[in-house]
Amino acid sequence: MKELFKILEHPADLGIEAYGNSMEDVFKNSAKGLIFIIAGNSKIDNNLTKKITISAMDRENMLVRWLNEILFLYDSEKFLMSDVEFKNISDTSLCANVAGEKYNKIKHQLKLDVKAVTYHNLIIEKERDIWKSRVYLDV
Amino acid sequence: MFDMNLKKIDEYRFLIPQSFQQGMRIEGMIYANDELINAIQKDETLKQVANVATLPGLIGRSLAMPDAHQGYGFAIGGVAASDMESGIVSAGGVGFDINCGVRLLASELTVDQVKPKLDALLNQLFRDIPCGTGKSGVIDLSFEQLDSVLINGAYWAVENKYGTTNDLEHIEEQGRIKDADPTEVSNRAKQRGKDQLGTLGSGNHFVEVQYIEEVYDETVANVFGLRKNQIVVMIHSGSRGLGHQVCTDYLEVMQEAMPKYGIKVVDRQLACVPINSKEGQSYLKAMAASANFAFANRQMMSHWTRKAFERIFGTGNLKLVYDVAHNIAKKERHKVGKNLKDVLVHRKGATRAFPKKHPEIPQAYAEVGQPVIIPGSMGTCSYVLVGTEQAMNETFGSTCHGAGRAMSRHAAKKDISADQLIKQLKDKGIHIRGATKSGLTEEKPEAYKDVSLVVEVVHNAGIANKVAKMIPIGVIKG
Repeated sequence: MKELFKILEHPADLGIEAYGNSMEDVFKNSAKGLIFIIAGNSKIDNNLTKKITISAMDRENMLVRWLNEILFLYDSEKFLMSDVEFKNISDTSLCANVAGEKYNKIKHQLKLDVKAVTYHNLIIEKERDIWKSRVYLDV
Repeated sequence: MFDMNLKKIDEYRFLIPQSFQQGMRIEGMIYANDELINAIQKDETLKQVANVATLPGLIGRSLAMPDAHQGYGFAIGGVAASDMESGIVSAGGVGFDINCGVRLLASELTVDQVKPKLDALLNQLFRDIPCGTGKSGVIDLSFEQLDSVLINGAYWAVENKYGTTNDLEHIEEQGRIKDADPTEVSNRAKQRGKDQLGTLGSGNHFVEVQYIEEVYDETVANVFGLRKNQIVVMIHSGSRGLGHQVCTDYLEVMQEAMPKYGIKVVDRQLACVPINSKEGQSYLKAMAASANFAFANRQMMSHWTRKAFERIFGTGNLKLVYDVAHNIAKKERHKVGKNLKDVLVHRKGATRAFPKKHPEIPQAYAEVGQPVIIPGSMGTCSYVLVGTEQAMNETFGSTCHGAGRAMSRHAAKKDISADQLIKQLKDKGIHIRGATKSGLTEEKPEAYKDVSLVVEVVHNAGIANKVAKMIPIGVIKG
């Protein structure tokens, strides 16, 4: 597995396809894809930790809720995630500590505002041993 | 080549029969000409219009305007009306940017008077109107103040000295939807929005200085206060993070509630609940609150626009022509068959286009109809249209909302640098101020469909009539 995620493009859409060896990995990498869309290659340190707890209806719903949490932390607190440690993760519940830092205009370059994470053509699946997710954003 | 299952009704109408897709409860109708229908077929727009037609309780047809393109659940450019008694409301049918909309301010100045000081004007506007990715506004509201914005919309702005009471008459819903209830808006949405009031945002949002190049209908233009060579300012923005979060929140609420009402949807983004359900009523109150935030937002930016004109030209007298929402669900009365019926009209990238004598349009425009403001893409022309009776008969009083994207952001950036684009536009007489260079190239004119084609279709189909065409000379991009 060479890449953690790739950005998908369509006339009106911007999406993230993420890969991983586990559900944790694919969740982490899709979140990294989201932060890449918001802040590009800005170097983000881990000097702040946030706890995220989510319950969801199913795996697809969990992925959308997870990414919406990452987006909410950015848009409400200007918190940019760089890493995550999952305490537990299943299709219906998730508990994680996300590490990162607050946006600093000298250090970080913001690229794009993301309005929301959508269910449009959403997939999260395991093929052989590789997990893959695809999610589109409204930007 | 058209999809074999599409039925061409006339030069500007393409019917999607119920046989197009299993589960369609009503037909679909696309307003387009041959060129635009070809563009529309390149993505999932037709499927999305058909998907909407599978929702319960819709009446008439699932509609798409000529600027339609693929969206999330609903196509952008989609219109769908629900029976108020038995129909559904869908958060996705309004979209994430609740009450994204456009307003037009008319100055007393001509293009020749403004051009010599254009750069000074743009610098002033760029300084005074917060814009760009992650930009906070000049005020960080307390939750209590924010609640007042959510209840009072543009009234709040005027009470706080952003504009005058005359402005309020010239805003859809007078800038305040009365059903708004801030207690139905989550604290998370409030947290996202509380420092974003009075900010333009990024993406396709803009403030544009334009002049009127051509007037098609002198009588109507005169009533709107528009004349050839006059300088006008167009503002395009929405409800910012607050509206985005409200839609996100209610998509979840609706998905969870659907089984209770026996509703199944073909695309999760179409999640919906009965209008009369607890969840449906909560959403409509939260949506109205978000719409009010957007009305206040555009009102504040209008105030700073006037101040900038005052500072540079000594006169800040810019009259608000009109302010229209293009992402919203509205309770309206429409003729269905032979009877008048109360319906909820979802407009997802579509503009209300009410005709003359309609009780909900400003008194000043009662004899001609509602101004419909259609922004083009950056560097291309924009239009003022007027609402028609035909729109009432066919499209629940709706028409197009803009150009519609035709090229991905990446593709848009590929063959031109920001500096090249700035020079190219400057050679055409258009001066740009942008928060980021990459944001500029993503919005280059070629990334969008030709707005003039879109406007020709709605004009010829009779669902809005051309009044005037504007050419940009200065653009502030987020």
